[in-house]
Parts: sequence; C-alpha cells; structure tokens
Amino acid sequence: MQLDPVTLEILNNKVAAITEEMCLTLQRTGRTLYVKETADFACALAGADGRFFAYPRSIGVSGFVGLECAPTIAAVEAMTGPLQPGDVILTNDPYLSKGLATHLPDLHMIEPYFHEGRIVAWGWCFVHCSDVGGRVPSSISPMNTEIFQEGLRIPPVRLMRGGEMVPEVRAFLDANSRTPEANMGDIRAMLAALSAGRRRVEQVVAQHGADVLVQASTDLVALAGKKARAVIASMPEGDYSFSDYLDDDAVSDLPVRLALKMTLKDGGVCLDFTGSDPQVQAAMNIPSHGRPHSWLTLRVLALVSTLDPSVPLNAGLLNPVSIIAPEGTIVNPLLPAATGVRHAAAVRVNDLLNGAFGLALPEALPAASSGTIIPVVVTEADGRGGRNVQVVEPMIGGTGGRFGHDGVDGRDSGISNLANNPVETVEAELGVSFLSYALRPDSGGAGKWRGGAGMALTFRIEREGSFVLARGMERLKFRPWGREGGSPGAPAALIVNEGRADERRLGKIDMLPVKRGDTVTFLTPGAGGYGNPFERTPEAVLRDLRAGLVSPAAAEADYGVILHEGAVNEAATLARRAAAPAPEGRIDFGPERRNWDGVFDAALMDGFNAALLARPAGTRSSLRTAALRAALGALPEGFPRQAASAAEAKAARAALQGVMADA
Amino acid sequence: MAEASGQLPDGRGVRVGIDVGGTFTDFVLHDPAAGRLVFFKEPSTPDEPSRALLQGLSTLLTREGIAFDQVGALMHGTTIGLNAIIQRKGAKIGLIVSRGFRDILEIARCRMPSSFDLHADKETPLVPRDRVVELNARLNSDGSLAAAPDAAEIAALGEALRAMDLDAAALVTLNGYLDPAFEEDLAAQIAEASGLEISAAAVIWPEIREYERALVACLNAYIQPLMHRYFDGLIAGLSQMGVSAPVLVTASNGGSLSVASARARPVETVLSGPASGVMAAVRLAEAARATGDLTGQGIVTFDMGGTSSDIAIAGGATPELATRTDIGGLPLVLPVVDVSAIGAGGGSVVWVDPHGLLKVGPQSAGAAPGPVCYGRGGTAPAVTDCYLTLGYIDPAGFLGGRMQLDAPAAEAALAQIGGKLGYEGSPRDIAARTAEGALAVTTAGMASALYKTLAERGLDPRGFALMPFGGAGPTHASRLAEETGIRHVIVPPAAGTFCAQGAAGADLRRDFVRSFRLDVTPDLTAALSAAFAALEGEAALWLDAENGTTRPRRFERAADMRYHGQAYELRVRLEGDLSAGAARAAFEAEHKRIYGFADPQGRIAIGTIRLAAIGPADPLLPPKLTSGGEAAPKGHRPLWLKDRWHEAAVWRRAALAPGLSLSGPAVIEQDDTTTILLPGWSARVDEAGNLHLERLTDAA
Repeated sequence: MQLDPVTLEILNNKVAAITEEMCLTLQRTGRTLYVKETADFACALAGADGRFFAYPRSIGVSGFVGLECAPTIAAVEAMTGPLQPGDVILTNDPYLSKGLATHLPDLHMIEPYFHEGRIVAWGWCFVHCSDVGGRVPSSISPMNTEIFQEGLRIPPVRLMRGGEMVPEVRAFLDANSRTPEANMGDIRAMLAALSAGRRRVEQVVAQHGADVLVQASTDLVALAGKKARAVIASMPEGDYSFSDYLDDDAVSDLPVRLALKMTLKDGGVCLDFTGSDPQVQAAMNIPSHGRPHSWLTLRVLALVSTLDPSVPLNAGLLNPVSIIAPEGTIVNPLLPAATGVRHAAAVRVNDLLNGAFGLALPEALPAASSGTIIPVVVTEADGRGGRNVQVVEPMIGGTGGRFGHDGVDGRDSGISNLANNPVETVEAELGVSFLSYALRPDSGGAGKWRGGAGMALTFRIEREGSFVLARGMERLKFRPWGREGGSPGAPAALIVNEGRADERRLGKIDMLPVKRGDTVTFLTPGAGGYGNPFERTPEAVLRDLRAGLVSPAAAEADYGVILHEGAVNEAATLARRAAAPAPEGRIDFGPERRNWDGVFDAALMDGFNAALLARPAGTRSSLRTAALRAALGALPEGFPRQAASAAEAKAARAALQGVMADA
Repeated sequence: MAEASGQLPDGRGVRVGIDVGGTFTDFVLHDPAAGRLVFFKEPSTPDEPSRALLQGLSTLLTREGIAFDQVGALMHGTTIGLNAIIQRKGAKIGLIVSRGFRDILEIARCRMPSSFDLHADKETPLVPRDRVVELNARLNSDGSLAAAPDAAEIAALGEALRAMDLDAAALVTLNGYLDPAFEEDLAAQIAEASGLEISAAAVIWPEIREYERALVACLNAYIQPLMHRYFDGLIAGLSQMGVSAPVLVTASNGGSLSVASARARPVETVLSGPASGVMAAVRLAEAARATGDLTGQGIVTFDMGGTSSDIAIAGGATPELATRTDIGGLPLVLPVVDVSAIGAGGGSVVWVDPHGLLKVGPQSAGAAPGPVCYGRGGTAPAVTDCYLTLGYIDPAGFLGGRMQLDAPAAEAALAQIGGKLGYEGSPRDIAARTAEGALAVTTAGMASALYKTLAERGLDPRGFALMPFGGAGPTHASRLAEETGIRHVIVPPAAGTFCAQGAAGADLRRDFVRSFRLDVTPDLTAALSAAFAALEGEAALWLDAENGTTRPRRFERAADMRYHGQAYELRVRLEGDLSAGAARAAFEAEHKRIYGFADPQGRIAIGTIRLAAIGPADPLLPPKLTSGGEAAPKGHRPLWLKDRWHEAAVWRRAALAPGLSLSGPAVIEQDDTTTILLPGWSARVDEAGNLHLERLTDAA
C-alpha cells in the first residue's frame, strides 16, 4: 500500500459514501417497484482494472461487489473505439458482458469518469427493470430453455455518446419491452446516479488529486484482500466436500446436483465445482465465466465480513478466492443457456459453501437457510387494453439455526436483503385480497437452536383472467438441512383453494391461470436446525409453543418435551429425552435426500457428470435425461419421497450406467 | 383552568423552557416584561427526572425573584419515552390485528439490519407473538367493510386480553387507514371489554402501510403508562410548589402539545430533544436573516455532543421534517424534525486497526471513563484529547473551569497511537500530528455523511450556513465547514442550553394525515378542497382545545404525490389554490428539484394529504449584550494547524462587541464551549450576540 494511513482511511470513507449517494439518487429517481420498494439495484466505483474499489454497505443489492466491468468496457472499445467524456455503456447480456450482467432484466451501465483527459475511475450501476420482452411478462421464467426466449439481449454498447442518448439504441430498447416508459424512467434514474457519482469523484480529485484517488482505488482493494486473507488463514486447512440438490430443473422433475470441493490452504480458498451437473435446459444457469463470480462467492463475503467486520467492502475481498468451474456446467454455462432465475441456483450454491465452510468451522456457520426466494407476481388486465404486472410479495423463509442462537424467523439476507411490499399498497394496486401473511408454525427445523420459520402467504384473486407467476420456487422436495444433530426444515408447498373441495396441491408453476375467487397459498420452507433438539432447553421449547411457532405435538415428537397443563412435565421430559438415541452424522438432509443418496451416491454422480462432460455439449442434456429416466424407472413411484430397496437401488444404478455405456 | 396570566403565549407571562438531559437539566427563562433571557443548569437526577426539574425550577425562580404563580407557561421536553423504547423497558402491551396478520411485527418489512453478518438477529418486536391477538376486522382496499366482529367475539377478546395481564394494547386493522372511525369504534368496544386503554393505529395516524402504522400504535401504547405516571407526578409536584402554569410538552415535529394531547399521543413527543435544538437554531437563523446577518439558502445545524454528531437542514422558517426515522431499530413514520447522525462526538475513541489505518469511533469513551484528559481512568484517547493536544481547548477552562483536564496524559496517549502509525519526531509533535490526522478522519466522515444527507434532497452544502451547538460543535465547526465548502458559520450565544431555548419558543403544532387517493384531473379541486376543509375543521378543534395561542393560527397543506408507476411519493407543499393545475405545477417543480426532470404527460396520483396546524408562540427576545468591547485578546497560546504550531490569540467570547472583527487563527472561549477560528477565516459578533465566522478566500 502506498497512501499514508490517514489519507487512506479518509478516502476509504469518502468513496464508500459516494456509492451510497449514487444509490440514494437512483432510489429517489427510479420509478418502478423493483427500485423503490425492493431496492433491486446497486451502484459502485471501479478502478482501472474494472473491479469495484468502493461499494455501498447500507443500501441496494449487497452481493454484487465481485462483479467485473473490464470485459464490457473492452467489448465496447473494440467495437467503436475509446470511450470519451459523456459516454455511458449499457448492457444486460450475461455472455457478451462476461458475467457483469447475469440475467437480461438487469440493466447495467458504466460511465468513465475523466480528469484532464484521463480516466480516474469508472461509475457503475444496475437496475432490475420491469420487462425486456421475451416469452413472459417481466421476462423471466424458469421454463425458458434458451436465453433467446428471455428477451432483448443488449450487447455492451454506448447508450450515451458525448452526453446525448443514442437514438438507435433507444429505439431498440423501446421496441423490445412491454413497459418501455417504466424502463426509460429507470434508465434516467441510473444516469442521474452516474452523474451524482461523477460530480463527487471530481470533488475528491479537486481536494486530494487524481493520483491519490487512483492510488486509493488499488490500495483499498489490496487492504481488503489482505484482511480477507488473514481471516481465511485463521481457518483449519484441508479439503472439505459438500453437495446439495435443486429439486428439479423446472422443465422436468429431474433433480439438479451441485457439488463442491473446497480447499483451504495458505490463506487462500479454492472452490472446485467439478461434479456439478451440466448446464440445464431451464433458466437457472449461473453465467460465472469460470471467475470468482458474485453468485458463486456470496458466502465467502458474508463469512469474511462476519469474522472481521472492518474489511472494506470491495473486490479485494475475493482476492484469496480461486474457482474451478468446468465449462458447460450449471455454474459456468455456454451460450445459449438461459439464466433468468440464476438466483435459484445461486441460493443453492450459497448452501453448498455454507455446508463446506461449516465442516471447517462448525461454530461460525449456520444450518441451511430456507433456500428459496420467490417473487410472487400477479398479472391481470389493467382495463385499458394492457396488463398490470405486480409483485405481490418477494417470499423468503428464515435463516438456519446457529451455534448459540436460533435462526431468524421469516427473514433471510443470504442472497439479497430485499424489502417486502406493504399488503395495503399491493391491495390498492392489484386485484387481490390478502387472507394471511404470516410465519409458518412447525416449519423451522428442530434443534438445540431452532431453524428460522418459513412463511405462509394466502391471497384471493378478485379479477377474472389473472395469472400467478412464481419464479425460483425451491425446496419442495429436498429440505433445508440441519447441522450437528439439528433436523431439516419443512419443505415448501403451493396450494390452490386450500381447504375447499377444489383444493389443488401444485409443484413448481410457470404461469398459473387462476379464476376470480381462487385462493393461492405459498408455504416457504423452514430453515434447518442446529444441534440435538433433545438438548434444547424446555423453557425455549415452551416459549416457542406459547408463541405458536411450535405445536404441542411437535414439542413432544421433535424436542422430547412432555407438557402437562401448559407447563413442562420435567420428569417425563427427562425420561423421554434419556431414551432417545443421539442424532447421527453432522448434516441431516432429511429423508428425501437420504433416499436419493442411497441410490445415487457422491462417487456415482461425480463419475456420471464427468462422463457427461466428456460428450459433445449438444448431446449432454438428452443423454443425462435418458440415463436418469432409465434409473428412475427402476425405482418405486414417488422416489425419493419413497425409499428404494437395495435391489431397486442396484437396478437403478445399473440402468444409469447402461445408458451411458450404450451412448 | 389557567388564569389570564397563565394563558399562552400572550407576551406577558414568564415562560420557562426545560430540557432534561442525561447529565444536566437545562433551563431557559424568558421574561418579556423585564426583557431578560436567562440560562441555567441543574445536575440531572436520572432515577427520578422530575426531581431535578422541580429543584432547578425552584432555584432559578427564586434567584431571579419571580413569584411561582407568575410563571405563564412551562415548555418541557423529555426523553423518558425514547429511553424506554431504546432499552425496551416500556409497558407490557398487547396488539390486536386483523385475522391472518398476527406476524405483522415479526415479518415487518422483511429486511435484516445487516446483510453481511451471519450472526445478526432481527430487531426485537415491541410485542411478542404470544401477546398478539387476531380479530375478524378489516376493510377492503376501497374502504368498504370486509369483516367486523360481533359482540361475542369482542367479549372473548376482552377476556383474552384480561388474561394477559397487560398495561395497555394497540389495534391495527388492514386498510383501516381508509376510515379511522372504524377503528375508533372498535377501540372503544375493546377498551370496554378489556378495561385497557387502546391505541388505535388509524386514529393516531391514518396513513397507508400497515406495518409502519401498527408501530405508531404500538409505540404509543408502549410508553403511554410510563408517560402518564411522569406527567401526573410532575403536575402534582408543580402544584405543590405553587406553580399552576400550563405545561406544554415539546414534540418531535418541533412544536408543542398540551399535557392532555401528550397523554393521548405520547408517541408524538419521543424525539423532542433534538427537535427543540434544531427549532432554536431555525428561529435564530430567521432573526439573523431579518437583520441581514444571514444570506443564502438556509442553515445546516451541527450538534456535536459526547458520543455522536447530528445535523439537520432548514431552508427557511421550518426545518425539514422526516417521515421515516429509525427509533430503537424500528421505523417511525410520524413527521419529526429530520435529524441525521453524521459520525463522531467528543468521546469517540481514536485507534489504529490491525492493518495500520487510523480510525475514530464508533466506540465512545462516554462520560465515564471519558477521554484520557478527564483523568477518570480512560486510557484510549478520544476526539476531546485531540482538541486539547492541538491547543483547541484550555485544560484549565473546561466547563467554565469546573473541571481540570490532564493535557500531558492526553498527549502521551496520542503519541503512543502515533508510534503505531510510524510517526517520528518529538513526542509533542507526534501527538499533534496524530491528533490532526484523527480530526481529519473525523471531519471527512462527517462531511461524507453531510453530503449524503444533502444529496438525498438535491441540495449543495455551499449555499448553506453551519450553525453549531452542543459542547464540541463550535470547536469542530470551522473544520467541517472548510471540508464541505461552507463559507459561513454562526455560533449562537448559549450553545450549551440550546434545546431548552428551543422549548421555550416552541409553537403549538400538530400534524394530520388522511388518505386521499385520487388522480390529478381537472375535477380535482372540489374533492381536494373538501378533504382539506375536513382536516382543517379537525385541526381547528384541536387548537381550540389546547387553550393556547392568541396569535393567528396557521395551516400548512401538503400532499404525497407520484407519477403512476412510481412507488415512492414526493411530499409537495400546496399553497394557494387547490386546482389541478396548481397541484400539477407544484408536483412538477418538486420533482424537478429533486430528480432533475419532470414528465408533463405523466399521470399524477395523490396518495395521502397532510395538514400541519400551528399556533405560533411569541418570539423570544434576544439577550441584551452587556459586556463592553475591550479590543484585546486575553492572551495567546500555540495552536497546531495542518502541519505546524502557530501562535494564536485567545479571546473571551463575552469581550467581543458588535463591530469588532478578528482574523484567524484565533481561539474564542466561553463557559460551555470553545470556538476555533481557522486561518483564512474572520469572526464578528452581531447585535443579537451571534458569532459569525466567515471564510475570506476561496476554499481549496
């Protein structure tokens, strides 16, 4: 580091404040719900290498600090020459921006900040806009199989040239959105944010000099890197393997495997995703380009920041991280893989890292969080010939039980810390009535420290011709796992007309047509518990019971607490608990995953995926489907909710290998 | 009821403003007949705050020769409610909600306080889940009745509430904001069935957003029993003393309320302390503007105390009001004087992190052990130690000489920090360089926060004057001004008792809201006029009942407006006529001011309308300047500026007469604070006793 400790601390403070000021400007100027209520945007400053040296801590999407601007800038300059003052780059394409954008509704902008003819910093911002065209309103659906169904791809281009909007670019944008006016409002807000950043950067340059700013941009990243390395060096070295599953890939009922071998060594961490599934024919691929991409490294950021809260929030946090993500897998897909609901897979990647780090540091990491983020959307006729598309609520669950603490009920900032929508504003804007928006009792995994409760949302449709969209529904099959003796959380469910004669229990949905008077109930999963639930203090169980979060039946069955007239029967509880065997193993994935692993163990699946990756890219998906179909054909109906016998498991493995051998 | 002399404020009675702080209870006595303004401090009695209040009042009145029954009004702010909320030591309350929404407080707005802390917890709800009860009661989104409980259900609810052994309860129904009468009626039924006082959300604050509205009701119920006890005790004590004057309670919106109003809605008073200080600054600024001593867009107040610093912005005769404040980790949507924390205070600790960066705060040495120089066992140097080491403050003159400071100890502690930074030279110079660096870090942090606060409003600090108060405000003000490009600093005469002064001059004020929810179309005028007329009727009744002012009352109208598709609303003042054209013009002007553009084709919706009812108080007369102008400093002392020692003149504030002009570097001392005048700045005193610091040359 070059700058003195006082100047560096001053610049550290100033540049972070600039990014927050940019965010405040964007939030105040933006016009859509994504910007205003759910804060699905961010702003930052990047240095000469295109990595962020300043990132906001208290506003906007927290996780994108690892994104890289350099490939986008290079693409524009290669096409149309060096950037000039007043130019602003726009892109939304995960492939051509090399992972700066990760799905098409996210509009990303980059502006060079000049001082005396030289670029001293880059301003960056992104907004999740309402719609960029494509097959479905709001542009993202898990059922999209190619990015070409997901809307307009905007390659890195100049949106602004010399301070003026390029009319051709604007014409393309307007023609390819269901909501061009709202998009342009968001674009104006982004430009306002970039201008605010530019003015403030100019001021820092005037006060401290351009050289000091440029030096600070590398020093601050180096500082964060040094601190992150110190944190990781304090962890026990070794290899830690973990795997987890997505229920399915939305276009079939076949589970999707994510596997990780994490190596901690010499203050660095290598995340090797070899063994993860090939890219899927659904919209949940993570376009990482094999880099330590934000969507693959969020848990590292959270862990380092938890263990050393003083680390500046910038790209340096990822300096100690290296990645192995084989091309053509779900964590490093090739064109034309769809990426719209990449966060659904990222949520599971977060679980994967959480699991692996937890093996190294059992007291620092929680059990699995609920592991799903579902922006529940309703679309209805707006009475003026168009359609009204609104988020009802972004549904999440809770966080996992932790050493010494219960998980958090109904909140989870693991992927993004989005705010919900007030029920009253939704009812004022949309033809739905909320019947209930609540925590979900008995959903949090039992444990010495209980997993956070999931949520239960029920609303009634009040207009004909409405549709319900719910992207990112997960953990309906494979539960959020418990740790160190804790139990898994309850799985998710979606029920139409619950408790009525025409009740329907559905799995994942794309666009669900609903009738006026129908009720729709989303139950999000509970998070995993931590530690043996029979060691939970009876007082804590009684507290949950009185709060209505744990039922009397669960108190007895899951916690061994016997109640008598509203109080704990201590003798009976003691006896009941003494008779219970201690939980086995460090991770409890729940019965579905146990049944699955009983047939498809880690070695088999590692080999299977290696064999698939050896085939030509175009053939992998159909081969994988055929092999798994053959294997499942040998297994009982309802597997993995139903267990397989040893003979069935053997037959399934043989079928799987048979298909691979024949191909 | 009050005698004529007790009526408020008719310009004849004596008014006493009182601010109960953690260390001192401050008094400002205004006696218009004798033309005097007196400041007084009494050590606080935190175990029973009214004791210090009564004791101090008695001492002050006796000292000033004022008969107890001559007092016309007491204006009083208290932090009891705020402390109870922050420490979660309020009443045992229940919450009644619409069926299906028992978890309204647990879910809140779904955000965690921190995204990057795996060990973080959410805020503790004011009402635990087992004391939240659901009721078949809600409205539809068009205001029509969706469900109402029958008598049997109310009776059962009453039983359930009684069984919980509560002190009070809050009520919130879904869409209840559309028709406050619905909840008012329900609350009456529940109160009768349960024997509890019920705070109904839609009655106190009928604004859309159920969680935030529920919190208003919960906070109200949570502090109400406590506040009742306090007010009852205070009134009884005063009456025993022979003071029969009406007590007015200062409110978070910068105004004041009768005790009766404060008993009904104590939640309106929780942030009155900082609000009073800001109001005093605003009044002082308006007076200075009238005499031509203040020009430009307005003031930024700068209150620097022991643990933190706060700013507020006032463009004119009223400060900015916020409608989303954080209070003990909970959002409060009532209008409050918008005070933003911007960083360190005098007790903030100076330290070096493991990677060699110089840091200031957020830990504070507090009052005990306090900074090293207090000699109370503190070993970590704080910002105050930096002032001392740099020569900003006199070790023998702190708190008017009541407390001797240990300068060598402060210097040694800072020199030790400087060693970790690799500084070389004499210990004294190392300590000074360290202190200078720490103040630079502190100032940069404050300036960044100040920029953000102004940027949210689309304002530029360079158009504003800075008005510092609090113990360290004037000491640090010119550094902050220099850093932010502010060219004018106004140091008020009694910077240490500013909140009490604000209380003494507080207007009666209450804010009202109603849901409106119509688009701006040509036939808007009738509906909007009718809605405001209804609110003004309600407001007039309130002002009448406060038995207050004889001066002409004032109503300020505003509306929350947005373009269709926007999810946030802008609050727009509506002055003059209520036509669609005027409403559109006002909205577009505000939109342009804040966002830089307006959309002449955009459909505009009005959500909530707002009315402020104000009963103005008489202005406080400025104190007469008594001291003569000996045009000479009391001495000189070395002052470290930037990178070396300078010899600076030291002046007594009381010795500065109007007309005298000083240039920096200089130190200006008064009992409760010290003002630093930097090189490149001049200082003068105006007729009202304000000290003006002005930048002579262009800032770097």
